[in-house]
Parts: sequence; structure tokens; C-alpha cells
Amino acid sequence: MMPSMTSAVKSPIRYLERRAIHAILLLLGASLLSFLFSSLAPGSFFDEMKLNPQISPETVAALRSQYGLDQPLPVRYVRWVKSVLRGEWGYSFAYNQPVRSLLMVRARNTLLLTTLALALAWLIAVPIGVWIASRRGRWDDQLASASTSLLLSVPELVLALGLLYLVIRTHALPVGGMVSTGFDRLGSWEQVRDLAAHLIVPVTTLVLASLPILIRHVRASMIEVLQAPFIQAARGHGISRSRLLFCYALPAAANPLISLFGLSVAGLLSGSLLVEVIAGWPGLGPLLLEACFSRDIYVVIGVVMASTMFMILGSLLADVMLVVADPRVRTDHA
Amino acid sequence: MGTEAGATRALQPALMRARGLGKRYVQRTPFSQQSFAIEALVNVDFEIAPGCLTALVGESGSGKSTLASCLAMIGKPDSGEIWFEGNEISHWSKRKLAPLRPKIQLVFQDSAGALDPRFSAAQIIEEPLEIQRRESRQTLRARARELMEEVGLSPDWANRSPLQLSGGQRQRLAIARAIALKPSLLILDESLSGLDLSTQAQILNLLLDLKAARSLTVLLISHDLSLVGQVADFVAVMHQGRIVESASTRQVFGSAQHPQTCKLLASVRVLEAAFQTARAGGRG
Amino acid sequence: MKTSKKNSKKRLIAAAIFLLALHLAILLAGFVAPYQPATQNRDFPYVPPTRIHFVDARRHLHLRPFIYQAVARADSLYEYTEARDQEFPVRFFVSGSKYKIAGWLPSHTHLFGVDAPAQVFLAGTDNYGRDQFSRILYGGQISLAAGLLATAISLFLGLCVGCVSGFYAGWIDESAMRLAELFLVLPWLYVLLAVRAFLPLHISPSQTFLLLVAVIGTIGWARPARLVRGIVLSARSRKYVTASRGFGASDAYILRRHVLPHTYGTLLTQAALLVPQYVIAEVTLSFFGLGLSEPKPSWGNLLANFEQYNVLVSHWWMFAPALALVLVSLGYLTVANAFHQQLQSGSI
Repeated sequence: MMPSMTSAVKSPIRYLERRAIHAILLLLGASLLSFLFSSLAPGSFFDEMKLNPQISPETVAALRSQYGLDQPLPVRYVRWVKSVLRGEWGYSFAYNQPVRSLLMVRARNTLLLTTLALALAWLIAVPIGVWIASRRGRWDDQLASASTSLLLSVPELVLALGLLYLVIRTHALPVGGMVSTGFDRLGSWEQVRDLAAHLIVPVTTLVLASLPILIRHVRASMIEVLQAPFIQAARGHGISRSRLLFCYALPAAANPLISLFGLSVAGLLSGSLLVEVIAGWPGLGPLLLEACFSRDIYVVIGVVMASTMFMILGSLLADVMLVVADPRVRTDHA
Repeated sequence: MGTEAGATRALQPALMRARGLGKRYVQRTPFSQQSFAIEALVNVDFEIAPGCLTALVGESGSGKSTLASCLAMIGKPDSGEIWFEGNEISHWSKRKLAPLRPKIQLVFQDSAGALDPRFSAAQIIEEPLEIQRRESRQTLRARARELMEEVGLSPDWANRSPLQLSGGQRQRLAIARAIALKPSLLILDESLSGLDLSTQAQILNLLLDLKAARSLTVLLISHDLSLVGQVADFVAVMHQGRIVESASTRQVFGSAQHPQTCKLLASVRVLEAAFQTARAGGRG
Repeated sequence: MKTSKKNSKKRLIAAAIFLLALHLAILLAGFVAPYQPATQNRDFPYVPPTRIHFVDARRHLHLRPFIYQAVARADSLYEYTEARDQEFPVRFFVSGSKYKIAGWLPSHTHLFGVDAPAQVFLAGTDNYGRDQFSRILYGGQISLAAGLLATAISLFLGLCVGCVSGFYAGWIDESAMRLAELFLVLPWLYVLLAVRAFLPLHISPSQTFLLLVAVIGTIGWARPARLVRGIVLSARSRKYVTASRGFGASDAYILRRHVLPHTYGTLLTQAALLVPQYVIAEVTLSFFGLGLSEPKPSWGNLLANFEQYNVLVSHWWMFAPALALVLVSLGYLTVANAFHQQLQSGSI
């Protein structure tokens, strides 16, 4: 192989390799931190039992040792890591099953929600941001800026509750849960419709919550790019406005926008917790809340780790996109 | 051209002496195992005669600034010795060097970067006095105004930010700050670059006056040989980390030995006229 | 552009005044609120907000606003009509229940009120008949205080770590920034819930409050630390710092006079961004039941009433704390924007 070819192929892979290792280290660190936090807990899952006079203290102690809760922190951590490697991710006391099976279902639901919201938010934000960047200073730009500022000030909690109110008042959509009862009896097209109907409220909330920041950033990046000389030159060549915006300017603004993508994944994930709980969507959020109240430690840790993993994956995805999109990244890291 | 008086003074023991100085910078290219070294100083022997104006000349990258930072006790040389006032200071700890610091002061090339934009002109001059606790609170401002006058800045500008001053005025301010602690040695590292000719001439005049009034020893670093030839008593030429020529100004200009010196001499600009005019017109 | 700079300054002042007024009203909740937050009126559950009238039934205009007393309808639950027989004018600076200004100065003067037996419920009542307007004001004390205190903690921690990290660099910087990266990669709401859940659940309200503040504030140190570290790193490499060292300045002097002043602008902007975030964090925690619980009001547990759908649908005025939340967010974000613009243009 020619040396130039190897270096061009090697460097992005090497770069991604390093990012992957970095991600794994981060996950490890996050798990350690979570465990450290969990050691703060003065009580445990079995505290409720302790209050029950019918259950003897010996039984409680036996249960505790059976689940390994009486071991010191490092031992528990090692056992948990082993459990993760085995594919169990610890044990849920409340559900009486390995955490993994709980996580899988809920994580899938959360992923469905967040990826949909992410895609929609970006699909709406990019055209709007690009358009108002080109109309900078005029009435539609000012209107958009004012609306995004207002929307930004409305906390997600309020958005979620507000949408819920609207939906309940108008009886327009089913509320709560992922699917209606009797889902299995529906035909496949009706199943999709049912799912979609349940998705509308949470997805809309998440989209509305992320739009302001995305639009702002797209607008800012586009404004910067539009001032570049090569745009002026292209305009002088008589290229139509929309072509100019989307085929010339937007790709040049790709770099900061891709980094923003990684961040928006993070924001969406944090936000989805609230929305899931309020809208009754059975994702990681409600699971975490439940586990918090019942002190189901390994479920809590599992959910925190799962969501952290999603966040890290999101930024890794952004890194991959960056490498593909921006040739400079490829050659920099020889 | 340098004075004969300067040549006589050279017979006295040197204020500062460097022997066999060496310094190298190691640079690693990112993400690779290779590294390469830059020899900034190679076996440098250098002397600064007291009460004289010594010039250190060379192209960019010849090691002038590195030598200056070693002499000003900012950087530490990798090898060699530095003697100051009879003491060998190259291996002294920070604490030991502390009392020496007021005696050697450095004026930088970039005056805007060397002056904190949040301070006023007077505060900038007061800073060294404050740190070294040389003045009481009441006399601090008065002293600062005195120094401003001495360097040719109007004391009315005491509350101006350095951003509101011109390049030449900023360098005057930097010089005022440097002499506040009454140093024995003043090092100017390319402080005249970036100024226009007449301003350069004015600053040079100022240096000469200060040198005379305060018995100051001055080390002037520049890449411009014609400039320093006007005022220096001694000239040292640096090339690629070595001192290639070191003699009195007259000798260097009259009978230069090293090809590098000849190269520098060949690109001399005519400064004399501007210099003489400025000198005749008084401080300005 | 000059005009946009002036505009942003005007916006900054307007927003700042608005915020100040809001905070003052909440600080003086005892004075502004007509009733105590715990006072129940079991006969008047879920009363809609009292209407303020200027024109009476006989079409006479009154200069002083007045209200009609609410009367429960005998036939249905939670339905009220106004008793049009008697007008109760709204009086200002009335004498009412005892309270303590800002918690220590006793007083019994309230900003407004009506004569007995009428009651003015500007924001309606809840299922125990407690005046929501008063509860929102008192609840604001908790939520805002939590936000402000937690912000102070985050900024303080961030400043300390950022300063040390940026100033001394080396392995301290490396390890601190790695730790910061770790904290930043964790999804904050999940971590907040988890940490809060790991700590004792059933503790006294004041302990809960302090715990909330400590947890929210401590988790958020990473972003301010990073920002401060960047500023400190660039400031410390400036030539005027080198010059200062040449005069014999100590590290403390350099930090104090040359480095820290550069952080003020960023710290202010961060503060304006963090306060609403942390207020929302407290509200979220209380909403989920992990924060302040009944009977002490907080905007969070006030909104928690909405967990029941019937409340959501029939008693819309219970949403009022959300309005307060939006106003706070709007005010602080406007200020943050204006600070940011001033920072960019170099005025701070």
C-alpha cells in the first residue's frame, strides 16, 4: 500500500479507536462514581421489612447477606462488575429479576422516544435556523428570536404539564402508557397508529424543549458561514438562494453543528426522564423514580449507567460524523 | 556610535556574566513518538559591562529572547553559569533569587500584552512599588507621577488605560514601570520593534537620558543593527544560538569579522538623520 | 452595532428590575400574601380565582376594586357562585394574621385584603381550601432560595477548582479536568434523582432543604470549573503576569489582581444561567416527591397536585406556580443573554 493511502485510512480509525477507549474509561469512571454515591445510602431495600414486626431481624439480615448488601463497598463493586460482564447488571429486589431484562425493555422505549424526538427536532430546527439566518435582522428573524427566547424560558416540566392538559381537555389522544389495552388484538396498522398516538405528547414536549437551542445554534453558525468570502463569490455567480443556503453554506457550517448534535443527545436524554414520568411513557425515567423510592440500588445504578452510555454513544456518533464530514479531522491526527 | 567613555568603563568588572550557557527546547509532534530538539543557546559566553549600553543583535530565532529570559531569571539554562554582582545564580532557588529581582528588570516587545488593560497608567507603575512595599499609600501616587514625567508621559494621563495610549507611549509606560524599583540592569527585548522610526528615536533618547541620570546598565536586544549602532557601547551578534561576534560598536561597524555580522550590516537602514533631528529637538 | 448594545443594556436593566421586584415580593411573602400558607378553609375546596370587579350589579362604577364572596353550590361539588348581595372592597395595608418579615421581624400588616367573612383568593384554592396565591409566594421563598444557594455553591466550587487547576496546571489540572469530564458526561437529572434517593428520605423540612441545596449545588461544579480554568490558563500566560513575577509578586497577588478579575464576567453570566436551572431542579425534585413535601409549600409540590388527572382538567388555576416559574426563567435568561453580549463586546 502506498504510504499516503495508509495514513489517510489509518488516522480516522485510530482517532475513533482512541475515542472508543476514552468512552469505556468514562463509563468505568461513571460506574465508580455511581457506586460511591450509593454508599451514601443509610438505608436499604429491606428497611421497610425491618419495620414489619412479623419479620424477624434475623430474616432481614439473612436476606441482606444473601444479596450481598452487608459486604464492604469494593467487594460489592467487583461483584457488580462481574455481574455486568455476565450480562445480568445486578439484581432488582423489587422485581425479583436481573436488572438487565428490566433495562432492556425500558431502554428500548426511551430510545424510541428520544431518537424520534431528536430526528424531528433537527428536521425542524435546521430549515428554520438556515432560513432566519438568511433573513437576519428582518421581521421574521426577530419574531423567531423572540419566540425561541420565550420557549426557552418555559421549563420542560411546564411544557409537559401544559400539553397534557390540552390533550386531556380535548380528549384528542390517549394518555399514559405506551399502548392502549387490547393492543395485541389490533391489526398491525392499527398497532402503529396506537403507538403513534401515545407518542405524540411526549415527543412534542421533547421537540418543543430542544427547538430553541437548536435553532439558535444553527442560526449562529449559518450567520458566521454566510459572511465568508466564498459565499459572496457564489452569490455573484448567480446561484439561487435556496441552493446557496443548503448546498453551499450549510455543509460549511456542519462542523459546529455536528458537535451540537452530540450535546443535543445529552440534553434530550436528561429531559426525557421528566417527560416520561409525566406522560406515563414506560421508559427509563419512571423506572428510576420507582427504584429511588424503593431503594432498589442496582436498578438505580443500572439506569444511571444506561443513560450515561447513551450520552457517550451520542457523542461518539457525533465524533464519527465529524470524521466523515470534515476532512481536516482526518489529516490532523496522523 | 558608542563613546570612548564606554570603552573605559569596560575595564571595570562586568555587571553580569554568562559562561557556557546552553538551553534546548524539546518538542514532540502531537500523537507521535518522535521528538526533535531546538538548541536555543549553545555555549554562550556573554558579558554586560556596568553603566554601558550593550546591544544584542541577531535574526529572529537566533536565541536573543532565550538569552534575555535566562539573564532576567525568568528561564533556567540547562547548562552553564550566570554571574551577577559576584554571585553565581544559575542554580539558585526562587526564594534566593527574590531579593535580586528588583535589580534586573525586563521590558517586553509587546507593550499591549505586557500591561494589564484593567489597570490605569498610574496603577501599572505603582504595581512594582506596591509589591516590594517601597512606598507608603500616600506617596505611591506621587511617585508614579514622578516616574511618568521622567519618561516623558504627561502626569494628567495617570488614569488612562494603556489601551488608550499609542505604542510609543505604552513603551514609555513599560519603561517607567521597569525603572520604578531602581534596577541596576534594564533589559529591553525587542521593545522598539513595531514602532515607527521617529518614535524609536525618541525612546532611544529616553534610554540614553535614563542611563546617564541613573547610572543604569542597559541591554538592548534587537534585530536592527543600524538602530543599536546609534547608541550602543558594545555589540554582540547572535546566530543560531551562538555569540558569533562581541566587541565595541566601533570595532563591529568598522571591522566586522563574522559573515553574519556583515550580512546584518549590509541591511542597515539610515536612521542617523532621524536620530540627530530628534536629539537636537530635545525630549519629545 | 451600537444600537444593539444599547438595546441589550436596556433589556438588561428592565429584566434586572423585574427580577428584583419579583424577589422582593417573594422575600416579603408575609406582607404581600393575604393569608398564611397553612391556613385551611375546609368549606372552600378548589375555589376558582376570585374575580375582581369595578362595576357592580347595579351598573355603578366603583373606584376601589371589590369582590363578591364565594358561595358553594348546594347541588354539585367544587362549584361556586358569587353572592351578589354584598360587595367587599379590596383594602390595602390591612391588618391580618401575624407573620415575621423575612423570618424575624414580627408584623401583621398585609398588602391587601378584604373584610371578613369574605376571602380574596387571587389564584384560587386547593383541595384543603388553602389560598394558592399565598402558597405560591411562600413556596417561592423555598424554590428561589434553593436555586440561589445552590448556584452559589456550584460557582464557589467551580471557581476554586478552576483557579487551582488553571494556575498550577500539570497533573492537578489533568486530574481535575478528567473528573470534570466525568461529572459532565453523567446525565444530570438522573444523577440528581439517584443521589437524592440514596440519602435519607424521611427527614425534617429544613434538613431536606439543606440537603437539596447541597446535592444540586455540588453536582454542578464541573461546567463553571472548566470555564474558569480556561480563563485562568490564558490570563496566567500573559506577559503582564510575567512582569509581575519579575517584581517579586506572590501567586496570591497575581491571582487576586491579574487573574481573578477576568473571571467576574463569566461568573455573572453563569450565575444568571444556573439560578433558573437550579430552581427548576428543586421544583422537579419536589414534584417527584423527593424534595420538600407537604405541608411546606414549594413550587414543586404545588405542581405535584397535577399528578392527578382530575385536578389537571377541572382546576386550571392550580397551574399558577408554573407561571411563576416561567417568569423567573424568563427574567434570568434575559439577564444572562445581556451579560453574555456585554462580555462579548468587552464591557465587563
